[in-house]
Amino acid sequence: MSAEVLRAPGSAPGQWFARAVLRNGPLGGLVALTVVMAVLSRDFLGGQNVLNVGVQASVTAILAFGVTFVIVSAGIDLSVGSVAALSATVVAWAATSEGLPVWLAVLLGLAVGVVSGLVSGALVAYGRLPAFIATLALLSVARGLALVISGGSPIAFPSSVSRLGDTLGGWLPVPVLVMIAMGAVAALVLARTYTGRAMFAIGGNEEAARLSGIDVRRRKLVIYALSGLFAAVAGIVLASRLTSAQPQAAVGYELDAIAAVVIGGASLSGGSGKASGTLIGALILAVLRNGLNLLSVSAFWQQVATGLVIALAVLLDTLRRRSTR
Amino acid sequence: MRGRAGKAGKGRQSRAAAAAAVLTAAVALAGCDRGGHTDLGLALSTMNNPFFVGIKKGAQAEAKDRGLKINITDAQNDPTQQINQMETFTSQNVKAAVINPVDSDAAVPAVGVANRADVPVISIDRGVNGGKVGSTIASDNVAGGRLAAKTLAEAVGGKGKVVFLEGQPGTSAARERGKGFEEGIRAFPGVEVVARQPADFDRAKGMDVMANMLQAHHDIAGVFAANDEMALGAAKALGSASGRNVKVVAFDGTPDGIEGVRNGTLTATVAQQPELLGRQAVDWAMRAAAGKPLPREVKVPVVLVTRENAARFAG
Amino acid sequence: MTGVDDDGPDSGHVLLRVEGITKSFPGVRALDGVDLSLRAGEVHVLLGENGAGKSTLIKTLSGVHRPDSGRIIVGRREVVIRSAQDAERLGIATIHQEFALVPGLTVAENLFLGRQPRTALGLVDRRAMRERAAELLRRVRLDVSPTTPVAELGVAGLQMVEIAKALGRDARVLIMDEPTAVLTAEEVATLFGIVRELRASGVGIVFITHHLEEIAALGDRVTVLRDGRSVAEVPASAGEEELIRLMVGRDIAEQYPRERPAGPGAPLLRVRGLTRAGAFEDVGFEVRAGEVVGLAGLVGAGRTEVARALFGVDRYDAGTVEVDGTELPRGDVRAAMRAGLGLVPEDRKGQGLLLDASLRDNLTLARLDRDTRAGFVDRAAQRREAASVAERLKVRMSGLEQSARTLSGGNQQKIVIGKWLLAGARLLILDEPTRGIDVGAKVEIYRLVNELTAAGHAVLMISSDLPEVLGMSDRVLVMAQGRLVGELSGERATQDAVMELAVRSPQADRDPQADRNTNTGQSAMEGSDVG
Repeated sequence: MSAEVLRAPGSAPGQWFARAVLRNGPLGGLVALTVVMAVLSRDFLGGQNVLNVGVQASVTAILAFGVTFVIVSAGIDLSVGSVAALSATVVAWAATSEGLPVWLAVLLGLAVGVVSGLVSGALVAYGRLPAFIATLALLSVARGLALVISGGSPIAFPSSVSRLGDTLGGWLPVPVLVMIAMGAVAALVLARTYTGRAMFAIGGNEEAARLSGIDVRRRKLVIYALSGLFAAVAGIVLASRLTSAQPQAAVGYELDAIAAVVIGGASLSGGSGKASGTLIGALILAVLRNGLNLLSVSAFWQQVATGLVIALAVLLDTLRRRSTR
Repeated sequence: MRGRAGKAGKGRQSRAAAAAAVLTAAVALAGCDRGGHTDLGLALSTMNNPFFVGIKKGAQAEAKDRGLKINITDAQNDPTQQINQMETFTSQNVKAAVINPVDSDAAVPAVGVANRADVPVISIDRGVNGGKVGSTIASDNVAGGRLAAKTLAEAVGGKGKVVFLEGQPGTSAARERGKGFEEGIRAFPGVEVVARQPADFDRAKGMDVMANMLQAHHDIAGVFAANDEMALGAAKALGSASGRNVKVVAFDGTPDGIEGVRNGTLTATVAQQPELLGRQAVDWAMRAAAGKPLPREVKVPVVLVTRENAARFAG
Repeated sequence: MTGVDDDGPDSGHVLLRVEGITKSFPGVRALDGVDLSLRAGEVHVLLGENGAGKSTLIKTLSGVHRPDSGRIIVGRREVVIRSAQDAERLGIATIHQEFALVPGLTVAENLFLGRQPRTALGLVDRRAMRERAAELLRRVRLDVSPTTPVAELGVAGLQMVEIAKALGRDARVLIMDEPTAVLTAEEVATLFGIVRELRASGVGIVFITHHLEEIAALGDRVTVLRDGRSVAEVPASAGEEELIRLMVGRDIAEQYPRERPAGPGAPLLRVRGLTRAGAFEDVGFEVRAGEVVGLAGLVGAGRTEVARALFGVDRYDAGTVEVDGTELPRGDVRAAMRAGLGLVPEDRKGQGLLLDASLRDNLTLARLDRDTRAGFVDRAAQRREAASVAERLKVRMSGLEQSARTLSGGNQQKIVIGKWLLAGARLLILDEPTRGIDVGAKVEIYRLVNELTAAGHAVLMISSDLPEVLGMSDRVLVMAQGRLVGELSGERATQDAVMELAVRSPQADRDPQADRNTNTGQSAMEGSDVG
C-alpha cells in the first residue's frame, strides 16, 4: 500500500483493488494487496521474503484462530496477548529457573493457557459477566502474573523448545508449520466438532441454541479454554523465535488478532467466521507491515496505512455481502 | 529502555481496571508503613521495567546512606495515579518530591499539587511541560545517540550502508536518540543510512522489521537500534552475521543487552546509569529542600559498553 | 410535492401505482411482475400466503429493497425509492411487523425522532414536542403520557405509536404489515376505527392481514399475490372461500382437518401440581399418545410459562413432570429432550431459529449430540437427515444452505418443527404454532399434526386462535390467572364455553385462600383479552 494508492483511491490500482475485494472477499483483498506490494517493491516476492511474511503472520494467526472460536460464538477475548506472555513465561520459568523437564514445562505452559480460558469462560458463562469485561480483567491479571513470575525481566527460553522458532532444512520456518497445523485444527474444530457447531449456534441465537438442548454454559467454558490454549501455543512460538520469554511480550496483540478475525469475514455479532478467513486476515496484516518496511514508509504513516487497510478490508467485505444478499 | 514505558502505555486503559484494585491495596500497605515522618517522595511511572527498578534502587541506596526516609510509589503508567500520589506526599509533609512523569504534559497537575503545598519538585528521566519544577535529571539521550552514531560508524570502518531501528513513534526517547544519531552520523559522509523503520522498542518487532529490511537491502554493514530489546531482535534476524559482518549498536545497557555485548552478538550498547540517576535525584531533591539554587537540567552521562568493558557492567 | 395536493382529499384518485415490479434474490424470484394501485381514501388489502411476495413488495415501497425492473409511480411521477428517507419524502409510511421504535426513549421522543422541534437556540423544544405528541396520541386514541418510555408500552401501544408517528409525518400512503397479528379483539376494534378515520381523511392504506374476516370488515379492494405475481384484484366483498382459492390456487375443503386417531393410547406426559410463585399454581394434566391437547386462555394466563417449565427451560417451585412414568429433573432442557419432548416456541425468530445459519444447521441443531461421534459431527448424515425432513415437510427453499432468515414465516415454522422431528420428539409443545402464518401453510402444519398423532406421537398446542384450538384439539384445557380452570372436549368445546372459563376468576370457586394470589392474578388480567 503505497502513499500514492492511499491518496488517490480513484487511481487505477486503487479501483482494481476495490473491485478485487468486492468480488472475492478477504482472499481478493490479500491477492490485491500482494500485487500492489509486488509492483511497488521488487524485493517483495522474493522466496525468503514470502517466508518472512509467513513467519511474521504466525503468532497473530495462531492467536486469531483461538479468538475466532470466541467471536463465532458472539463473545470477545481481549486476554489472548497477556495469556500468551504468561504461558511463555511459565514455560521459561519452569524449565530455566525451576529446572523442570522441558516437556513438563511445556505442558504446564499449555495448561496455564487452558486454565486462563476456563477462568474467563466461567466468568462469562456462570458469572454472567459481559465477555468484554471478563477478558479485560484477565488481560490485566495474566499480564500481572507474568511480571510477578519473571520479576519483570526476560527469562531464557529452553533451547529444545526454541527449535519451534527455527527452520527445517535451513529454509522452512517452523512457526509457519505450526501456524498451518493450528489453522487446520481450528478449521476442523469449527466445521466438524460438536463444540464447533455449538459455537455457530450460540453465536447465531443463544436462546434458540439453549432451547435446542445445547448446554450453552458448558460450551462457553470449552470455547474460552480453546482460545486460551491457542494463546498459549502462540506465546510459546513467540518466545521460541526470540529464545526468550518476555513478560511484556505481545502487548496489544489481542487487537491484531481481533482485526485478523474480522478482516477474515467473521461478524462481531457472532454466528459466522472461518479459519481460512482468519488466516487471510492475519496474512493481510503481515503483508502490509512487511511491505511498508520494504518501502521504507515513515513511522507515522505506517500506523495511518494500517488503520486504513483494516477499515477498508472490513468495509469492502460488508459491501460485498450486502450486494450479494 | 524508557520507550518501554511508552509502549506499556498502550495497555494503560485496559490495565487500569486491575491497577485500581492493586493500587488500593498498595496504598493501604504504604499507609501501614509504621507511620512517623517521611522525608522524601519518589513517584515512579512504572516498576515493570528494569530501568525504573534501577532508579528505585539508586534512590533507596542514596536515601539509606543519608539516613532519610523515602516513600516510593508506582503509577503503573497512569498519570492520574501520579496526581493522587503527589497528594499523598504533600499530606505526609515531605521535604521534597521527585516525579518521574508518565507523560510530560499529563504530569503538570501532579506538579501543581506539590507547588500549592510549597513542596519543591524535581523531575527525573522525563521533563514536565509546566508547573514549577526545580531540576530535570535525565540521561543525555541526544549525546547518547551521537555516541552510538560515532561507535557504529567507526565499527563499519567509516563507510557502508546502515539501517536505523527507531523506537515507538512519538516517545521522547525515540525522538532524542534518533536526533542524536542523525546528527552524529552526518559527520561520516561514507556511512549511508538506507532505511529508518520503527520497531516500537519491542524485541519481536525488532526481529520482524530487521528481517524485512534485509529483503530490501542486501549489503548492510551496520544497524543502530534505539534500545537493547530491538537490537536483540535484530540480532536474531541477522543470525550469525550479527556483531561480525553486520555491526549492531544498541542503547540502554539492560542485563540482556550487556550479555549480548559480552558474547559478541551486539557490537556495543550505550548504557544509561539508572542507579546513578536515582542517587542524583535524591541529592538534588535534598538540595532543593534546603533552598539551594538549582540548574534547570542535570544531564547524567551515558557510558559506552563494549566487549572490553562489558564485564564491569554485568550482574 | 407529488402532485397529490392538487386534488381534493376524497376524490379517489390514484396515489400510488406499481407496474410490473420484479425482484430476485439468489435462488428465489420473490416478485415476478406485480401490479398494484392505491387510491386516496381506500383500504387496499394485500393478501397472499407467506412467501407470496407481500413483504418484498412493501419493502420495495419503503426503500429497503430496490426492484430489478418495473415502475413505481407516486402521484403522476415515476420515482426511485432508495431509502426510508426517500419513502418519507414521498409521503409513504410503513409500519413493519418489527417496530422501529427506540425502547429507551419516551413516546414523544420516538414520535419526533430525527425531527424534534427546536427552540430559537437550536435546543430541542421539549414543551412543543410534548404538546404535538399529545395531539397525535389523541388521534390514535392512545391514552398514555407523551413522556412514557416506549419500553413500558404493550404491543398494541407500540402499534399505535407507530401509526401516530406516520401521522406526524403527514403520510399520504400508509402501509401496515399484519397490524392485527398481535392485537386483542378490543385493540383490533380500536385500530379499525383509526384506520377508517384515516381513510375518510383521504389517506391510502395498504393493509396486510391473514385474518380473512377482517377483509370484509375493513377493506375496499383486495390484491391477491401468489408466487410473486399479482393474480387477482377483487372487491373486498368477495367471499372467504373465493379469497382462499385465489391465494392458494386451489380450494381448501377444510380449514381444520383434524383426523382423530381411533382412541388415545398410554399416557405420555403427566404433569402434577406444577407451581411457580407468581406465574402458575397447581397445574396438573395428562397427554396421551395420539392426542392433541389444546391449551387455551387469555394472554398472560400462564400457558407459555407452564410450557417452558415442563420443557426444563425455566425452574418451578413444586410439582412433578413425568414422561412415560419417569420424573424429569427440574430446569434441564436436555433431560426433557432425551425423554422425547420438543418445544416450538412462540417467538419463532427470537427463540426458534438461527436466522443467519443454514437450513441444514437449523434442522439438525437439536440432534447435534446424536450426530456426534467422539466429538466429531457427521456432516454427511446431517445433510441426509435435513434433506429428508425438508422434503417431508415440503419446505419451499432454494437449497439446504439457504439461510433461515430468507424463508417466509410458514416455511420458517416448518424448519422449527422439522428440527424436533429430527430430534425424535414424541411430544411436541406447539406455542402459537400458526401465528403470522398464511392459510395454506397453516393447513400444512395441521396435516403434519395429524400425521404425528397417527404415528402415536402427541401434541400439546397453545393457541390464542380459538377456532384453531377448538378445531384441532381432541381436548381443550383452559388456563386463567396461572391455574388450570377447566377441561372441555367434544360437543362441550365451544368458543363460548372456553371464553367463559377463561375470564372467570379461578380463586372464587377453587381456592379458599385466594388472597395469596390476588395481586399477581389481577395484574395478569389487566390489558389482556381474547386473542
